[in-house]
Amino acid sequence: MNVEVTGLTRRFRSVNALVEVDLSLGAGVFGLLGPNGAGKTTLLRTLATVLAPSAGRVRLLGRDPADPVERREIRRRLGYLPQSLGFYPGFTVFEFVEYFALLKEVPERRARADAAGAIERVGLAERATAKLRTLSGGMLRRAGLAQAIVNEPDLLLLDEPTAGLDPEQRVSFRALLRDIGRRATVVVSTHLVEDVGTACAEVGLMRDGRIVFRGTPAELAVRGEAHGVGDAPLERGYSAVLAEEVR
Amino acid sequence: MDDDDLMARVAAGDHAALRDLFDRHAPWLAVRLRRALPAWVVEDVMQETFVAVWRGACRYRPAGRSGAWIWGIARRQAALWVRVQARQAGGVPVPPARDPGDLVVGADELERAFAVLGTAGVDHRELAKLLLVEDRPVAEVAARLGIPEGTVRSRAHRVRRLLRAALGQEEG
Amino acid sequence: MITHPDDPLHVAGCAACRAGAQPPPDVDLGRVWLEVAGRTWSRPRGPVERLASSLLGSPGLARALVTTPSLLRAYVAATAAIFVAGAVFERGTGAPLVAVLAPALAGAGIAYAYGPGADGVFELSRSMPVSGQMVLLARALAVFALNSALGLGAAMVASGASGVALGWLVPMTAVCGLALAVATVSRSAAVGVSAGLAAWCATVLASTGSTGHLDAATTEGWLVPAYVLIAIAGVVVAVRASRQLPAAHD
Repeated sequence: MNVEVTGLTRRFRSVNALVEVDLSLGAGVFGLLGPNGAGKTTLLRTLATVLAPSAGRVRLLGRDPADPVERREIRRRLGYLPQSLGFYPGFTVFEFVEYFALLKEVPERRARADAAGAIERVGLAERATAKLRTLSGGMLRRAGLAQAIVNEPDLLLLDEPTAGLDPEQRVSFRALLRDIGRRATVVVSTHLVEDVGTACAEVGLMRDGRIVFRGTPAELAVRGEAHGVGDAPLERGYSAVLAEEVR
Repeated sequence: MDDDDLMARVAAGDHAALRDLFDRHAPWLAVRLRRALPAWVVEDVMQETFVAVWRGACRYRPAGRSGAWIWGIARRQAALWVRVQARQAGGVPVPPARDPGDLVVGADELERAFAVLGTAGVDHRELAKLLLVEDRPVAEVAARLGIPEGTVRSRAHRVRRLLRAALGQEEG
Repeated sequence: MITHPDDPLHVAGCAACRAGAQPPPDVDLGRVWLEVAGRTWSRPRGPVERLASSLLGSPGLARALVTTPSLLRAYVAATAAIFVAGAVFERGTGAPLVAVLAPALAGAGIAYAYGPGADGVFELSRSMPVSGQMVLLARALAVFALNSALGLGAAMVASGASGVALGWLVPMTAVCGLALAVATVSRSAAVGVSAGLAAWCATVLASTGSTGHLDAATTEGWLVPAYVLIAIAGVVVAVRASRQLPAAHD
């Protein structure tokens, strides 16, 4: 199990962002759905070791993120793409990806070739030497994805990764996720329900800081058969589960 | 596109043109070099060759002989390698004493191998990943796993044998 | 001239033979290309970065240092220019300008070194093994050291042969600590700079008003413990705050 979370709770002043979350994940692509404010980003940030829990137990890649030495070990094998990434305008795509390879302590000899490999894998080889400020939103997102995968992570965390990508790019993106998910744990947070259907083996639905559903996309679709609202089976399942929780 | 045009574009700093040049010439260069040199040396020489092509493309005079020009660079790089080897071996060029199992493997290959090995490989997975995939020095692997360097070496030896068997590799 | 098909010079010139070439199965051309791409797409590392990398033992930290916004050439040049102007003015008029300028310039440099206001990818940096805290401290120290060196040079130019005034080093640490803490907590480099400069100006004006000397803020001995406390508190607050920042959204 690459992710073992029990009773995870996170408070920000008076707001309960995460409440008693239990989650156990092995290899494969796991989709995280839910409305804004449900806690998806907070959960991802906790898994990315950016946030410490207020309560509960977290084990990532068999290690304890509360211990500084183990946290560093986890981070070397982690990939994270935050929702709003930011960038250094003067860096080229290559310099950006290589920089984060070095920060992830990829051995220096390999960092250059691994950065080149990640850039080719996300389809940005044509723009490898272009400065980031000349790139479109979708390309920047792909550059962000390249830095996330450059160290061949065992745990890959993606927060709204397909924002700004056109449908064709989303197709190749999903293929890349499935490829990575064969060996690593991939957690994708998205509000685009259709992204989840094709790429994810399993789905979790969050609301008000809790996971209110966990199962395969097919199981989610089944939940929407009777009362769901939406154009597609997954959307109906999504709305049906959320409606159930408001009782 | 004509080779001379491609070379001109490379000289002008077009990275895509270098890629095209590589796709065109690398296969036959690799075949020629492989006759005389071990595979991993061919890879190093090819790398040096194309970096040299990138840096020196402006010196190429368009005459439809780009292939010969690149071959000239490759031959010089190969000769350089042989000279360095000879110096290190004290005079006589010898092929590198490198265990064919002493590869830096990709993470995917490692997964496949350990899937084949099943429970037999469980103890050595971490060591194999650190030493063979991430190519870390023995001292660092020893420190990380909390075992003596000698133990790392002997386990590594065992792991390489297992991996070779699992991946169906031959000697030499 | 008939050349043998195995003659490399033949193949080199014959597109038909080249097109049919199958690379040897044990040569990984894909990996070769990635090595070539890595070397041709990258800029060679400068001497400063290489030195930092071997001194620190961390190429990632070295790269983080040379990309510090307030250590980029333009910023350093601007800082140096102000120091020079102050030194020349002091040499001519005797007004202790360098002592007053140094803490202000250093404080600004610190605020623009790291943190949510200055670093575009702050959130991502916090998930790195070369941690945000390490980068924060390394950059703050580097900026502090650089500004101290520039200040020292300016002080030597300003005073010539007579004793070099170094009293400004202590208030400089305090202003830096304050600017760093405010920049981190407020998530804005600009607010950090403003706070640091405002506090320093107030101190200078108050001490000048009460003693009549412009550099009183750097020479009054009883201020030193206060400066040291503020410096330490500032760094502690900054390090702790940078660990607990929530995202702007959820």
